[in-house]
Amino acid sequence: MCHHHDILRSNSKDLQKIEKQIDRREFLTKTSLGLGAMALGSLLGTEKLFASSGNPVSGMNGIPGLPHFAQRAKRIVYLFQSGGPSQLETFDYKPKLYDLHGQDLPASVRQGQRLTGMSADQTAFPMTSSIYKFRQYGESRAWVSELMPHTAEIVDDLCFIKSMHTEQINHDPAITFFQTGHQLPGRPSIGSWLSYGLGSDNQNLPSFIVLVSKNAGGQPLYSRLWGNGFLPTEHQGVQFRSGKDPVLYLNNPENYEGADRRQMLDYLKKLNEAQFDSYGDPEINARIAQYEMAYRMQTSVPEATDMSDEPDYVYDMYGEDSRDPGTYAANCLLARKLLEKDVKFVQLYHQGWDQHGSLPSGIKSQCNKTDRASAALVKDLKQRGLLEDTLVIWGGEFGRTVYSQGKLTADNYGRDHHPRCFTMWMAGAGVKPGFTYGETDDFSYNIVKDPVHVHDFHATLLHLTGVDHEKLIFKHQGRRYRLTDVHGHVVKDILA
Amino acid sequence: MNFNALIAVFLIGTITSCSVELPEDVALEYDKLPQELDFNVHVKPILSDKCFLCHGPDKAKQQAELRLDLAESAYSELINSPGKKAVVPGKLAKSEMFHRIISHDPEVLMPTPKSNLTLSAHEKAVLIKWIEDGAEYKPHWAFIKPEKRDVPAVSNADWIKNPIDNFIIKRLEQENLQPSSQAEKELLLRRVTFDLTGLPPTVENIKEFLNDESDNAYEKQVDKLLKSPQYGEKMAMDWMDLSRFADTHGYTVDRYRDMSPWRDWVIKAFNENMPYDKFIEWQLAGDLLPNPSKEQILATAFNRIHPQNMEGGIVPEEFRVEYVLDRVNTAGQAFMALTVACAKCHDHKYDPISQKNYYEMSAFFNNVEESGQISWDNAMPVPTMLYTTEEQDEVLEFLKSTAQTKADKLVSIRVSEKENFQDWISNEKYKESVKSKYPKGLIAHFDFENSQLKDRLNPSQKGGMKRVGSSSENPEFGVGKTGQGLLLDGDAWFDSHGVGAFRKSESFSVGLNVKIPENLENGVIFHKSEGAALYCFRGFHLALENNKLQVLMAHTAPGNAIIEYTKQDIPRDQWINLMLTYNGSSKASGLKVYLNGVELETDVKNDNLYKDIHFGRKDEPGIQIGARMRGKGIGGATVDDLMVFDQELTPLEIIQVVDYEKFRDIMSKRHSELAEVESAMLESYFLLNHSKVYKKYLDELEIARMTFSDSVESIQEVMVMEEMPERRKTYLLERGLYDAHGEEVLPNTPESVFQMPEDLPRNRLGFAKWLVHPDHPLTARVTVNRYWQNYFGRGIVRTTEDFGNQGELPTHPELLDWLAVDFMDSGWDVKALQKLIVMSATYRQSSKTSNELRELDGENILLARGPAVRLTAEMIRDNALMTSGLLNTKIGGESVKPYQPTGLWKVNGYNYDQDTGDKLYRRSMYTIWKRSVPHPTLATFDAPGRSECTVRRQKTNTPLQALVLLNDPTYVEASKVMGEKIAKFDSIQEGITETFMKLTGRKPSDKELKILLELQEKQYAEFKHHKGKATGWLTSGEYEPDGKLDADLIAANAVVASAIMNSDATITKR
Repeated sequence: MCHHHDILRSNSKDLQKIEKQIDRREFLTKTSLGLGAMALGSLLGTEKLFASSGNPVSGMNGIPGLPHFAQRAKRIVYLFQSGGPSQLETFDYKPKLYDLHGQDLPASVRQGQRLTGMSADQTAFPMTSSIYKFRQYGESRAWVSELMPHTAEIVDDLCFIKSMHTEQINHDPAITFFQTGHQLPGRPSIGSWLSYGLGSDNQNLPSFIVLVSKNAGGQPLYSRLWGNGFLPTEHQGVQFRSGKDPVLYLNNPENYEGADRRQMLDYLKKLNEAQFDSYGDPEINARIAQYEMAYRMQTSVPEATDMSDEPDYVYDMYGEDSRDPGTYAANCLLARKLLEKDVKFVQLYHQGWDQHGSLPSGIKSQCNKTDRASAALVKDLKQRGLLEDTLVIWGGEFGRTVYSQGKLTADNYGRDHHPRCFTMWMAGAGVKPGFTYGETDDFSYNIVKDPVHVHDFHATLLHLTGVDHEKLIFKHQGRRYRLTDVHGHVVKDILA
Repeated sequence: MNFNALIAVFLIGTITSCSVELPEDVALEYDKLPQELDFNVHVKPILSDKCFLCHGPDKAKQQAELRLDLAESAYSELINSPGKKAVVPGKLAKSEMFHRIISHDPEVLMPTPKSNLTLSAHEKAVLIKWIEDGAEYKPHWAFIKPEKRDVPAVSNADWIKNPIDNFIIKRLEQENLQPSSQAEKELLLRRVTFDLTGLPPTVENIKEFLNDESDNAYEKQVDKLLKSPQYGEKMAMDWMDLSRFADTHGYTVDRYRDMSPWRDWVIKAFNENMPYDKFIEWQLAGDLLPNPSKEQILATAFNRIHPQNMEGGIVPEEFRVEYVLDRVNTAGQAFMALTVACAKCHDHKYDPISQKNYYEMSAFFNNVEESGQISWDNAMPVPTMLYTTEEQDEVLEFLKSTAQTKADKLVSIRVSEKENFQDWISNEKYKESVKSKYPKGLIAHFDFENSQLKDRLNPSQKGGMKRVGSSSENPEFGVGKTGQGLLLDGDAWFDSHGVGAFRKSESFSVGLNVKIPENLENGVIFHKSEGAALYCFRGFHLALENNKLQVLMAHTAPGNAIIEYTKQDIPRDQWINLMLTYNGSSKASGLKVYLNGVELETDVKNDNLYKDIHFGRKDEPGIQIGARMRGKGIGGATVDDLMVFDQELTPLEIIQVVDYEKFRDIMSKRHSELAEVESAMLESYFLLNHSKVYKKYLDELEIARMTFSDSVESIQEVMVMEEMPERRKTYLLERGLYDAHGEEVLPNTPESVFQMPEDLPRNRLGFAKWLVHPDHPLTARVTVNRYWQNYFGRGIVRTTEDFGNQGELPTHPELLDWLAVDFMDSGWDVKALQKLIVMSATYRQSSKTSNELRELDGENILLARGPAVRLTAEMIRDNALMTSGLLNTKIGGESVKPYQPTGLWKVNGYNYDQDTGDKLYRRSMYTIWKRSVPHPTLATFDAPGRSECTVRRQKTNTPLQALVLLNDPTYVEASKVMGEKIAKFDSIQEGITETFMKLTGRKPSDKELKILLELQEKQYAEFKHHKGKATGWLTSGEYEPDGKLDADLIAANAVVASAIMNSDATITKR
């Protein structure tokens, strides 16, 4: 068992202190075999553990031969904006719409393609320009609306894709498609694929962690979005929740302390060893190892989620919300901490972007909740030198229609789901900063240049982590499955 | 043939059959190959896995028209290389395949580098030897009908308990291995008790079995277990995975709906040992059996419990198609272990299932009057059955006959009133009505005069204009039929604000004048509903559809509704009057539409309304005109004079409304001048307006209907199958897309599996009968294999879900066939099959083994030892509940909500209202199964999401499992209860021994006991010295321990119980 990036954390308070004093990442890379593993080895007798068939902590080290080539992104944080943020009010500036405002969408633009059951039967399809103003920012002169003042500040770090498109027109299939590469339930999510393929760089924390903004409302989410599908269960995303039990059942019974648990586990281990002596089944040792991992998590998770040592200026950067655990801002900050600990894939979800009606007020409040923290995360990673090998992704499952769903008035309108074009941005590891890729027509209805399909997005994401999307394969029910199914092209033009 | 030797021969110049040199690594592997290769065992898995992708059954993807799954194609001349053949039996050098697989030229090499598939040296060697040996093809093993194999004679006959053992030991003898001795009695009892009931044995059971020294002591236990009601529960648990049973609809909205009656039926069917062929027939097609019973119909819920989508705004057809295909996929997987779903978008890449085969099968399941978008108001998706108790049946029968009596009475009154009617006519009393402009019963009239939306009769009743995103639109008025009319833009609708919120038992009439523009083909004219498809059209409406009128009245369209279409097109660009009348009968015959006073003939598409058409809300929506939320309106139309009546107007009254002049003419005639049709109209008019007795019974009929209707309203509905009277057309869907219709297909089964006999009907029942036909090669094999897996942790075919070319081969093919045939011969006797397996010596073996055997057979494929399998998620929890004495043994009923961390359902927008009391302790199979947020205690231990058929669960071992068992209140509480019990023993040692025995089924060893006693002692000391430390152990869960006992002692004992609960001896069935 060889840990390339072993950053096992010590259970000893003293050692933790030392770790904190010196550069943590340096410390961790220099200890080729982490302290936790040493502890585990000494508990069991290393020989005994490693002689058992297979990896005792299975799935931790990824599959042989991966990565296929140099990794640009060692970690990913995906800020999923659930509900379908409007590209028209955020990044896809369409000045011609000011003249066309209120006019019916020409059939030549719509081209007869399907609409959702919510607006398909409308008689009028009035085109609607953004009520919010746009300006150009940075050296890259990227257009950003007034709703995103903080994101506007970092445009020179961002790579915008204006030409995303998907086939799915409703939330469930569209989100499922984005998260798993297939519109129906049952396939593994992106994070599960990465955990399966690349393993973990931190043996004390799950390699795929999920954070969901609390009380965001909006379209419901479902845990199969971070499910492992047909991959082994250990690759499912582990949701970290705000509150005192960040991982389900992490806390011991009230007042029962770590040392008490340690004692109990020591005896449990003796029981299991006695059983092993009778049966010789390597599964018994594997289970002992899992209990040790669980025990380590009881320390490492609260530590990883402990925000108390963050200085005020950090909270200021992420915004006041970041002091309130479970908010989007707090989750962004937590994501940064997890990335610092080399968690491979942190998946955030923020619901509430589904503005069928009253879009102007709805999207404004969404941007207020997310803009500052999203930008802060990029800045924070950058100042810590982590942005070089961390990929940040921002985007939803589809865009929104140029026409108003329901009534268009001087200060109010709605927009329906629009899969044919929408904007995402990425930042960091291996993507071109200050760059915009793809173009939509004057109506932000069709793509006129460089379309990027969801499969292409997945192929590119895997490519950045050093994985050839055509080679990360799992055989299930006789078939070879990939995140990109039988599709997908790496978008080479956005690679730095 | 020794290949090295052969090469040597070649090198010295002798001409041999093989004049080619092999790469070194291949030559090495070649040497290791067995003397004889078997096509199915050795060759086809390679061809399938590495070649079929481009040279297999998928016609669209076949490269160079070469198919390597068919001998004739493989042996034929290659289309792109004239004179060359892929495979020339016996002639390696002439076989293009050989040259291609060993080539180093990427342009030539097969599989192509681009495919990311490579052949190992071993695989190349196999293909080479196969060609040399004559390249023999054989049909796929699983598609050959199983024959009853002879039970092999073996030398170690003493060991044998039943024929299973002969097959197992024969293989062991081939490998020079010995079977293991029988497991220790306690562990064997634990194993079989879990396997047959999902629960542990009680201490009493264990003692009884230990003390029973009779020869059939074990069999007695087995028989007892098979008879216990928990047997049915255990069998049903697996069936729930297979049938993708859950308590919520799935997809994003994922609301609760109760389908537990079906689960109860499954438990019952297993307990009654229903023959498996019947079990399948009922579930697939019970509704199509002659005079189906309630249970036979209930059973078909199997086809309906797939995920269904409530997300507003989906394209209903997209998901309706998805549901149909889910049924096909599930049937393919569950009964045939075929991955038929692979043929959704193209021919199957590996198995001989064409895309056409797939859609032909879908035609069996496509004739359901269902909706892709299920109703937002939580109505059970149609079609449904009313799941009545016998008592309810009696009540309903009584109420129905009461209503019928009243209806019959009305008919007789029509006769008895003949005389009075004649008097009325001859006295020309009708002339008195000539002046009334409107019929009786007019309850609202919106005439849109003076640019007002008020009800003329009741001006305080104000209507309004609304549209999506606005509840106060400005109405626009134009020239009406008379005076002003209301202009419609197709997106805004007139809302009467509650007028006309009728129920299905009430008679009523609604009419208006409307001018519809020429180019409009579709759009709702008026409706009483909330949204359109979003609520499955609950209410009623009159709509233009493809130039005709659609008349609809629905509880949940389309299954629970009346839907009619007029035969004739509707005139445009002129004022017309449309009148809908209804007599409260819930029948299409009672729902009529009149154009300008003339009844229109209709085609009745659905006539199946059995629940009410209103929402039962305080703000019940009323009649609306011209548009609706999420539906098409009549843009460009003008309407006038919406009139609502609280009775069914007679034809004469409709004339009165539509054409007063005509009405006046009729009513002014001398009675001798009346035409026959006019007299007939007058009779109806007379009865309704002037016959007190008729009116009395009409009112009584309405009350009787309402009583009946109200009684039906509260009855639980369950989703079932119901065949549409006319078969829905089924198409091959190009690329699997719901709207890309290819050729039309008819119901049929895949011929490659087994040709459907002529005498079977081409419907679901025929499909079910085809599955259980004695000549079907798969169903029995797949079934016995799945059951085998339950006992041994691994099927005879490891890939329980895939018996196709990409599946694994059976480890004991003769045994599989013997079991399959025996199972069919027994009359598909499920209990007998379970008994056969658990009675075998193979099953009874100890799972202890030597390191040598473990090295040799890590996965226990040969079964030289007994099975050792981790308990399932349900068993782990049920074990803790039962051994602590908390278990509530109630069988069946609605699912329950045991402990779960707060807030988990929030992500899906719901609250989890945890149950209290004994509902917390029901068996885990009754824990609410929410597809979008699975219960963590179960999901962590690999319980599947149940969005699709699962026949093989994962078996993982993760740190999160450790956290669940250590800290989940379920387990902490159970530990507490056990800790209390230990405290009541005279000696701690005894208490711990008993607890250990309950949890693990055996006595602790001295060593184990010592460990546990030491732990107890240390923890007790710790708790004693640090007050409060034991709190968590004492407060988790509802159970309150005896306050008189030493709390610290209880807690310390609880830690011990928890340690045992977390140990391998508990978690693993050995």
